[in-house]
Amino acid sequence: MELINSILDLLFGSDPELRQIIVVTLRMSFFSTLFSSLVGIPAGVLMGANDFRGKGFLTRLVNTLLGLPPVVAGLIVLLLLSRSGPLGSFRLLYTVEAMVIAQVLLITPYITAMTANLVGVNAKTINETLAGVGIRGTKRLKYFLLDFRVPFLSIILAGFGRSIAEVGAVQMVGGNVQYKTRVMTTAIMMQTNMGHFNFAIALGLILLIISFLINTIVNRIQKAAADD
Amino acid sequence: MIKLKNVVVKAKDRVILDIPDLQFERGKRYCIIGENGSGKTTLLRALMGTVQVNNGVIEGLNPDLKVGYLPQSPYAFSFSVLRNVSMVLERASTGEEIALDALKKVGLGSLVSSRGNTLSGGERQRLGLARVLALPKEVLLLDEPTSATDIRGMDLVEALLLQWFEKTNGLLIFTTHAPAQAQRMADEVIFLEKGKVVETGTPKVLFNNPQKPETQAFLSHWSI
Repeated sequence: MELINSILDLLFGSDPELRQIIVVTLRMSFFSTLFSSLVGIPAGVLMGANDFRGKGFLTRLVNTLLGLPPVVAGLIVLLLLSRSGPLGSFRLLYTVEAMVIAQVLLITPYITAMTANLVGVNAKTINETLAGVGIRGTKRLKYFLLDFRVPFLSIILAGFGRSIAEVGAVQMVGGNVQYKTRVMTTAIMMQTNMGHFNFAIALGLILLIISFLINTIVNRIQKAAADD
Repeated sequence: MIKLKNVVVKAKDRVILDIPDLQFERGKRYCIIGENGSGKTTLLRALMGTVQVNNGVIEGLNPDLKVGYLPQSPYAFSFSVLRNVSMVLERASTGEEIALDALKKVGLGSLVSSRGNTLSGGERQRLGLARVLALPKEVLLLDEPTSATDIRGMDLVEALLLQWFEKTNGLLIFTTHAPAQAQRMADEVIFLEKGKVVETGTPKVLFNNPQKPETQAFLSHWSI
């Protein structure tokens, strides 16, 4: 009962730190998904829609990056952004921007691979159909983007899901700084380590509720896009 | 006139098309027949330029020539049927009218608002034909254009193609597995086997009096 009460208090209370954690989580997930999608979807369409020398190698490379452990991505970004690293002068370490960079490194291969697989299934038929009516070269890409607009939203949503649930990389480059870089997952980990299980469970529930709400919104957008 | 000279198409090391000499004249209708894997589709793709010719030349296909190609399973995009056709028309203002007219001609006038990817195989073929014919064409390359359509759809498509042919005096090249269609629609039939032209002739001559044993063997399975 005590557990339920503390969860409800947290969910419907007005804890300023919790609000801050939610805002930082959403900000980080939104921007990392946005940048990953802006790179990953066009890259995936280009990979899936075309046959070119080195395509097999590129596909293997992207698929390998799917298995990149978050802590390794975090380590790479940490080394790049640390004071003695090549990008140290930007002073981005332990900021939300650093967390977004690490997330982009993790999510872009994921979005690229999923897009390339999706587009690749029908690419030959689409290319042949478009060639038959005189649409070739880069003009084709517009039709790929239009045709797959609904499944692309699912891929973006999957990328967002991966971003919001990630903990290893954001902990390393964000540092879990209170009121600055603390996000839901790093907060859950910290609260668990401190033995505050009620707080950790409540945070987990909030994370699920946010994911559910975002899924609902995207689902509505998908339906509207499908009817367009 | 389109001329193929010593055209060879390979898939890895396997020769899938080997045509020393073949020509197609404007104002004629050609039907390509042959068993599965005989090279019919590859020949159309070579003419369309969607398959790389490893050797030889195809003359007469200058960039100004208005060529339309309909694959056997044309893709229907997930947007509306009307947009599936109007997408090839640059002027959006008149595009929808032209697209609607083209769709009515292939019997899809009532499905303009449906999504392309909900159509049946036969409807997709007719949609593909409407898309190809929405713009003026001088040459039509059609890969089994009615293989998935019902008999009413087949009638509609054949009538539309004959109408196009009479109006433009263009060049029609199509493949089929339906001998009756070859008889109805073609001035000349080309029989392919293993990527090579075995025999050509008018439908009447080729079907009634084939000269080559390969053609005789193939036609023995056909009943018209």
